[in-house]
Amino acid sequence: MSITRFLLRRLLVAVPVLLGILFLTFMLVRIGDQDPVAMLAGPMADAPMLARIRAELMLDQPLLTQFWGYLTRLVQGDLGMSWQGNAAVTKEIATHLPATLELVTLAVGIGALVGVPLGLHAAERPNGWFDQLSRFGSLFGFSLPTYWLGLMAIFVFFFLLGWAPAPMGRVSMMVTPPPVVTGSVLIDSILAGNGEAAWSAASQLVLPVGCFAIVATAPIIKHTRAIAIEVMGSDYIRYARACGFPRRVIRRIALRAALVPVITFVGSEFTSLLAAASLIEFVFAWGGLGHWGLNAILLGDFAAVQGYVLTLAIASVIIFALVDLIVLLLEPRARA
Amino acid sequence: MRLLEVEDLHVEFAARGLDNRVRVARALNGVSFTVDAGEVVGLVGETGAGKSLTALAAMGLLRAPARIPQGSIRFEGQDILAMSDRELEKIRGRRMAMVVQSPLTSLDPLKRIGDQLVRMQRVHGTARGAEARARAEAMLAAVRIPDPARRMQAWPHELSGGMAQRVLIAMALVNEPALVIADEPTTGLDVTVQAQVLDTLRDLVRARNLGALVITHDLGVVAHYCQRVAVMFAGRIVEDGPVAEVFARPAHPYTQALIASTPGRIAQLGYTVTGGTPPDLYDLPSGCLYRDRCPRATTACLAPPPRIALDATHGAACHYAWEAA
Repeated sequence: MSITRFLLRRLLVAVPVLLGILFLTFMLVRIGDQDPVAMLAGPMADAPMLARIRAELMLDQPLLTQFWGYLTRLVQGDLGMSWQGNAAVTKEIATHLPATLELVTLAVGIGALVGVPLGLHAAERPNGWFDQLSRFGSLFGFSLPTYWLGLMAIFVFFFLLGWAPAPMGRVSMMVTPPPVVTGSVLIDSILAGNGEAAWSAASQLVLPVGCFAIVATAPIIKHTRAIAIEVMGSDYIRYARACGFPRRVIRRIALRAALVPVITFVGSEFTSLLAAASLIEFVFAWGGLGHWGLNAILLGDFAAVQGYVLTLAIASVIIFALVDLIVLLLEPRARA
Repeated sequence: MRLLEVEDLHVEFAARGLDNRVRVARALNGVSFTVDAGEVVGLVGETGAGKSLTALAAMGLLRAPARIPQGSIRFEGQDILAMSDRELEKIRGRRMAMVVQSPLTSLDPLKRIGDQLVRMQRVHGTARGAEARARAEAMLAAVRIPDPARRMQAWPHELSGGMAQRVLIAMALVNEPALVIADEPTTGLDVTVQAQVLDTLRDLVRARNLGALVITHDLGVVAHYCQRVAVMFAGRIVEDGPVAEVFARPAHPYTQALIASTPGRIAQLGYTVTGGTPPDLYDLPSGCLYRDRCPRATTACLAPPPRIALDATHGAACHYAWEAA
């Protein structure tokens, strides 16, 4: 199967999935007891004014009519207006998404670089001391709530020790931010040759990325270990031993076999952390998509919530397609 | 020439039970047999008798929690039990090769057949590069795989069970070993395919004057393909000898029961078939392990039976071997 055909098929399958997610989100925000009209109009508004705003926002129409209207505008690339910022949702997403991607990519990247070798090492001697230690460690990482970890990190490293900068966004307020190119302040400052901004952006990244990396690493260790143990117990590894292959050859066979399931897991980890980023972003006033989406949910900013969920869904679709593409290249059985 | 000599081999497993008490399963209780060059020996017995365990021990593949408290295994004069992993790796797959069961899951799923055969040679330093590829292809032809040049490019998942088993035979023979151990090589194959695969194996073993140990629970396989047979029960060899001898005059009641339970033979032979299960390996009785199932058992069977030689090559571990034979 050619790669273009594969991608086209994935795209076609994605459409009903995204429609379903949109429909659910659309209905869920409206079923809740939040009334954005009252919030927008303020406490002084009288009944006719509320009715006028309601009509303006088309919230007085039947739900399905509203949904149809939303879809027709969506097809034209219009995700509606965010009431909280009074700006187009598409524009808001474009400004906030890079911050989240920067955070999650770094955290998952560190998680994979640390977690995969640790998991493999733990699997070499199941129930050995290193395995026990890593299991305890990953249980620890699993059990810590992100926001608590973030708050403790701020308390210790900013408040007590003063090593970290104030947890206020992605670059110090004293520094002129670089012009936006990629959306990652760190990369943009380096591109602009702005050393001061780059340093500030990097130091702002340390705590949130560190906290989030702990959250990302724990499950990666655990799953890599489980995958590696399963592979080491497989028939083909036992057969490789019976063939007299030395340890290094057997290890190579095992690594190669573990690669595909590990990559699949890290991919799914990426998508779930994309959604889980909102809490850590909130704690560090990160101003990313998660932070913005969480605010939208709290304020009943319907169009923004829909845009937020849609963005996450599209990101998941893209990441899973990428993962499947990698699997397709690495795994002969998947090409059959 | 003597290839493999197993003597009084004991294997046990220590396992911690739910009550945290260590219990020891005595899986092999004194196994002795030999395989010479140019000879096909069958190791036959019911599930759990210790056939595969014997093969693994012979290959030096036993790992904790398995322990060998007693016995010796010599291969080409060398003491397998005294060898380091490094030394064993040089013998396994090179001088002594194994054909395992479940061929489809035993081949490396991420490597083409040809590459696996080449790797087998490269690891053992027998050939590399183009020479190894040529030998791999010739080996595939030798195990009667049609269109071997094309099959070199096949992935394991593209093979049928019978094809994969042939590839395993090719893997085992590509380094020209002295001894082949085939552990139930045809389990899970169609009967016609079974015969084809075993024919191929026998022809190659014969043509190269190899020694072979064929592990099976199928007496038909033993009768067709082996010159000598060792019958196992509860981790012991209860009878051994030339196939024709053992089949014509089985001396151990277990051998008789095995032969009698071959479909269509019961009425013909008039042996008594007794039911029952093998003894509990965690709590072995003293004396003859077959006692509880034996129609012939007497108080003499409370003592462990010695191997009684019926002639130069045929013997049985039964107090009454002479009477039965």
